[in-house]
Amino acid sequence: MKLTGSYEINAPRDKVFAAITDPNVLQSSIEGCEKMVKTADDTYDAHLKLGVAGLKGSYVGKVQLKDIKAPESYTLVMEGKGAPGFVKGTAKITLADNGDKTELHYEADVQVGGMIAAIGSRLIEAIAKKMADDFFKKFAQQVQGS
Amino acid sequence: MIPVAFEYFRPQTINEAVGLLSQKEDVKILAGGHSLVPAMKFRLAQPKTIIDISRIADLSYIRETNSQIHIGAMTTHHLLESSDLLRQKCPLLSETAANIGDVQVRNRGSIGGSLAHADPAADWPAAILALEAELLISGPNNQRTIKATEFFVDIMQTALQPNEILTEIRVPVTSKSVAYVKFAQKASGFAIAGVASWIDKSKNSVRVGITGIAAKPYRATAVEQALEGRPLSADAIAQAARKAVQGADPLNDMHASSAFRAHLAEVNTRRSLELANSR
Repeated sequence: MKLTGSYEINAPRDKVFAAITDPNVLQSSIEGCEKMVKTADDTYDAHLKLGVAGLKGSYVGKVQLKDIKAPESYTLVMEGKGAPGFVKGTAKITLADNGDKTELHYEADVQVGGMIAAIGSRLIEAIAKKMADDFFKKFAQQVQGS
Repeated sequence: MIPVAFEYFRPQTINEAVGLLSQKEDVKILAGGHSLVPAMKFRLAQPKTIIDISRIADLSYIRETNSQIHIGAMTTHHLLESSDLLRQKCPLLSETAANIGDVQVRNRGSIGGSLAHADPAADWPAAILALEAELLISGPNNQRTIKATEFFVDIMQTALQPNEILTEIRVPVTSKSVAYVKFAQKASGFAIAGVASWIDKSKNSVRVGITGIAAKPYRATAVEQALEGRPLSADAIAQAARKAVQGADPLNDMHASSAFRAHLAEVNTRRSLELANSR
């Protein structure tokens, strides 16, 4: 499943890049991220609660930041396993200047397996899209607010 | 197929249920159970607390009051489908109910449960939006009513607060000029494109509610405006139907791409309006 999206963030690119590679900011932007612990350079163990409304599952997994090219782009790699199945995804995040603002673009490729894929396939894409939107909204608020 | 352990409550009154909602953590309300129970059995939902509202007296009724029809939230799809009152005075609800799932689902599933679950492919939202229904909600301190257009917030998300229960749905008495046309996903019967329309010929006005297309059901206001106050010729309807997804963001999934969904929305909007207009 491929997801893409663009957001305009009201902050300069350097500031946006610093924030989007900062594990504290990432953690507080991911709704349902209970824990994120550094295990190696740019690698973190994460405890996540993902889903919407009543359909939520707990996942334990890894978050990794790769191919960091400040202040332009990097790749976020995530994988998690839980009772409802597994989620694996990579997202390439690109930043471009737009005056005083920054244009953020992401292209993600997400694989979902196990029970959640077998039963929830009808809703997964819409839910994933909503979660990505929520993430970037929260992220933008944090960067613009600080 | 065995759910995670949960605490179970079966209150006798709405007040008791609302009280439990405020006290307990991670709660789901069990109505007819035809969305929640499967999700729990597959462990896609793992609530800690279940509040079963099926024994609360007087949540299942269909009554006519002052040119409105009031429907209790626990009224089953089957009762709505087979109600003579609705067939005479709000046939869009009878027609929609007949389109939901299968006999077993209709015998157990409830209108309030379906609306509160807010599955983006559920059938009821299309009719509820087209009829400009009002929803009555009970909370810890008060009751409030909310318009259908304000009820659906996002995918599986409604304007209900965690400590509130949807108790009643209010719809107007209408003529027979209504229709629900859907393209269903074959295995589940869920709507890929479901379009409900209500034509008020005395006012030359049209209402269209669409489900299955976007993350949340919506009123096709661009279609309505294009037809407002105009004679409903086949041409005018076809032109207006082209605006079926204006302002919406059609979903993309294994059953239908967003382009196919947009196409289905247009075709079913046209068919639904033509059918309603012929009645």
